[in-house]
Amino acid sequence: MSHLTDTERLTVTSPRRRPRRRTRYNVPAGIGGFLWLAVIVLPIYYVIVSSLRSQAGFFASNPLAIPANPTFENYWVVLQNDFFVFFRNSAVITVVAVVATVAVSLMAAYAIVRGTGWFQRTSFSLFLLGLSIPTHATLIPLYWMITRMHLYDSLAALILPAVGFSIPLTVLILSNFVRDIPKELYESMRLDGAGDWRILWRLVIPLSRPAVVTVAIYNAMNVWNSFLFPLIFTQSASKRVLPMALWAFQGEFSSNVPAILAAVVLSTLPMFAAYIFGRRYLVSGLTAGFSK
Amino acid sequence: MYFEVCGVGTKENTLALRSKIDRRVAVLAVAVATAVALTSCGTPGPVQSPDGEGAPAANTGSASAWVMSGTAEEAFNASFARWNDAHPDELISTETFANDAYKQKIRPAIGAGEAPTLIYGWGGATLADYVATDSVIDLSDLLDTTALGEDLLPAVLQSGEVDGKLYGIPNNIVKPVVLYYNKDVFNDVGLDVPESWNELMAIVPKLVDAGVAPFSVAGQAQWTLLPYFAYLVDRIGGPDVIASAAEGTPDAWSDPAVTEALVKIQELVDAGGFVNGFASISTDGGADAALLYSGKAAMMLGLPATYDNVKTGMPEFVEEGNLGWAPFPAVDGGKGDPANLTGNPTNFWSVSADATPEQQQAAKDYLGQMMDDGYVEDLIATGGIPPVNMSEDKLAASDDADYFQAMYEMIDSAPSFQLSLDQALPPVAGQELLIQLQQIFLNQITPAEFVDAMNETIGK
Amino acid sequence: MPSPSVPRAVVRRRRTGPHPILLLPAIAFFVFFAIIPLFGAVALSFTQWDGIGPVSFVGLDSWKTVLSDTQTWHGLRLSLLLMVVSWVVQMPLSLLLGVFIAGNQKYRAVLSAVYLLPMLLSSAAIAIAFKNLLDPNFGIGSALHLPILVQDWLGNPRLVIYVVVFIIAWQFVPFHTLLYQAGARGIPVQLYEAATIDGAGTLQQFFHITLPQLRNTIVTSSTLMLTGSLTYFDVVYVLTAGGPGNATRLLPLDMYLTGFQTNQMGLASVLAVILVVIGLALAFVLTRASGFAKMNSDQEGL
Repeated sequence: MSHLTDTERLTVTSPRRRPRRRTRYNVPAGIGGFLWLAVIVLPIYYVIVSSLRSQAGFFASNPLAIPANPTFENYWVVLQNDFFVFFRNSAVITVVAVVATVAVSLMAAYAIVRGTGWFQRTSFSLFLLGLSIPTHATLIPLYWMITRMHLYDSLAALILPAVGFSIPLTVLILSNFVRDIPKELYESMRLDGAGDWRILWRLVIPLSRPAVVTVAIYNAMNVWNSFLFPLIFTQSASKRVLPMALWAFQGEFSSNVPAILAAVVLSTLPMFAAYIFGRRYLVSGLTAGFSK
Repeated sequence: MYFEVCGVGTKENTLALRSKIDRRVAVLAVAVATAVALTSCGTPGPVQSPDGEGAPAANTGSASAWVMSGTAEEAFNASFARWNDAHPDELISTETFANDAYKQKIRPAIGAGEAPTLIYGWGGATLADYVATDSVIDLSDLLDTTALGEDLLPAVLQSGEVDGKLYGIPNNIVKPVVLYYNKDVFNDVGLDVPESWNELMAIVPKLVDAGVAPFSVAGQAQWTLLPYFAYLVDRIGGPDVIASAAEGTPDAWSDPAVTEALVKIQELVDAGGFVNGFASISTDGGADAALLYSGKAAMMLGLPATYDNVKTGMPEFVEEGNLGWAPFPAVDGGKGDPANLTGNPTNFWSVSADATPEQQQAAKDYLGQMMDDGYVEDLIATGGIPPVNMSEDKLAASDDADYFQAMYEMIDSAPSFQLSLDQALPPVAGQELLIQLQQIFLNQITPAEFVDAMNETIGK
Repeated sequence: MPSPSVPRAVVRRRRTGPHPILLLPAIAFFVFFAIIPLFGAVALSFTQWDGIGPVSFVGLDSWKTVLSDTQTWHGLRLSLLLMVVSWVVQMPLSLLLGVFIAGNQKYRAVLSAVYLLPMLLSSAAIAIAFKNLLDPNFGIGSALHLPILVQDWLGNPRLVIYVVVFIIAWQFVPFHTLLYQAGARGIPVQLYEAATIDGAGTLQQFFHITLPQLRNTIVTSSTLMLTGSLTYFDVVYVLTAGGPGNATRLLPLDMYLTGFQTNQMGLASVLAVILVVIGLALAFVLTRASGFAKMNSDQEGL
């Protein structure tokens, strides 16, 4: 059993220190780690490799073997089938929804954390409860609302509900960050006569950057990959988003599997790019944002 | 839920973090902005559906049609393109949908009053529902005013009728379910294609011994199991059994033909009649057809799409004449005519009641001339029989002449053509049937339980 | 607080905090697009509607139909089973992986980059990929020539729900791994050093230091896991659509299929309301539990 001396307890400061490198190699852990690596990689490998096969003879070859005649024809098919339209639509709804969500949530977080009064407190509880609302439960009434508002088959129909549903979690995460901005900074700005907007602009936004980036990335991934709402609320090809493109390759009774998988690869690439850029943020943001 | 924060509170940490993050955020922001800008600027022009160069983008003015993606897509699009070129004053714009997506969307669209002018459908209970809710208009006059009355095959035309009036015009190939088989396997094992159910049960053990699965089926899709049930009920009890269930006659499912059919199905399953793990096989990608042409299975019940899948997956197999086709076996002592067919008689165009009179007129004009030579040939090219009276020469001229001629004869001489059960029955019954039937195949329930569950759905 | 030297008139006019109007946009969006539809679902649960025709009020009929349908209870049982089994599978896995990649070894950093890849894929993509991989004849089993992998994965009614658990785990363990990694990184090194000095082995350190220190992360991650798996829909829908039979017809799926496949919007709304009620109850219970844990860790004096 370990017991700490008083001095050792007191010397613990920032909890973000990393464990020192251990010279012992944890073999079972290593083996487990590589096993899980195989589990993760295998389906991804399968998707990539299969996308390079052609439909003829698809079932003749070993699904995990490198194809004898790899071809990019599936990628061409996908790209030619309005891929850029879907991509643009996905990008538009993602950017607009995320910007709107973050902007609106940051304002709300600031108001909740630094505000007093029943309105702020009730709002916070409302958002808390909102986390447990399953989105599909509201599908039918939302569909009715969207059609009455004549927004059916528009990108707005995808953006607005997405913002609505992303707000609770975003507000909660941002609140926690904003809470940590020292009160003194607020008060000194207030004394200088700063209004709410200036405080937001000069103080809150810069100091909550890590959290903002984290929620932005998290929300972006959710909106980009969402497919139930686009399925129900849009119909024309000009309004379709990327996940719908996967469905486009399913014929009435069977599908062109290699083409679908090529579409999967293509539609994941932007996420992958964002991942490469933003991984540090996601990790560091979550590191700081979630409890120890 | 609590997300507690600790550790980032100190001013020093946050400020130190700031400069490093500033740069990274800037890079990220620039990257994102560039990506968005590129994609926004770089889109090709008004990329709508492939409805021909001359057609304008979809707008509220012109008539519209929702086209199903898949094998007949090109035929549809070519036909609309020809029409639009010849009739610039009565344009029809198109949108293309995948099968599942279409089925999800058409109802909400109709409900929202935003249905396309030309509505694609399968007939059956759905069409009856559209008629009951006044969502589609009566097209019976087209039979007299255009050539459609003479050209269209009567059995097929019937499926587009509700209460004696025509609400759907056939637009696709006739799709009967037939028995496809691997000739090589039969030759190797020394068997003949079964013509009766008893013969079928007799060859099952021999195929199993030879290490071949008697039947391939994509059991996961559920609807692929329907033909076995539909054919058996029809062969044993005749077409009236299902017809009465579709009409909602109380206790229609208690007809002994139903129970006998289910018993036979379970006997087939128990005898090893279906490939191992059949309930895991999905129709995506044609894995079921692959079992047939790779020799792992001997037979398969399928729509013409199966023929297509085999051709796409292994062209040599068809070219060398290894793919055989036969009608579903007869049942000795059964009331049904062995020439009866089940499947999808065809697909239909209906005209939306919510469209403007001009749109409706454009749609009707289009439909009247739809079955021109070009269209018929395009349909044949998709691998099936168009729903029209055909001359022998047309069929003989095509690539798959033998197949087409055999199919045409089957269709032309079929006394009745039962629509796929999940379409023929009202939605609640149809969906319940899919679930119950799958459970029968998996030996999870008894025929009696099936009958009870299905009787419950009557009138819902 | 304003200092006493500020003139009273100014104090009275100045707000002590941000103007509540800042909250308005967020509240507006949320109420309009989430809360109101929720009430809409409640309202619809007292009706019968097929999506095309008129909406007809039927009082409690839809509720009676749904509550007396064995499928509803079956779906509820399945959902609860999924919740519990998912948690049992995902929690230890994410925890161990999170602690694993929190370590400083270089190879672990490389592995961690790969571990996060599933987060990039959409649910539809994941479901399609696995559907093909699990084909008994042309999937992974035959590819690797391992008979044990050639099962009726998606067709065996008793097996399929566990396959679903596995695939959902594949999709979400990466996210929870991140949480545990963050949590593990936050454990002070001194604790481990002291333990090593005292002669404690790896396993002992894990159980007596790592686990207790991760208590809050466990609560957070578990809360997300449980509420998430209660309402989970996407992957299961594309993968099995509730089949075979109704072996994977979880409550959210039942709701969707009842509404959009058999066009019984009233019944579907009842199921929706049931889901919301259970979700709220769950969140409430977990909030209490996590509050309890919060108090505990504060008192541990670190």
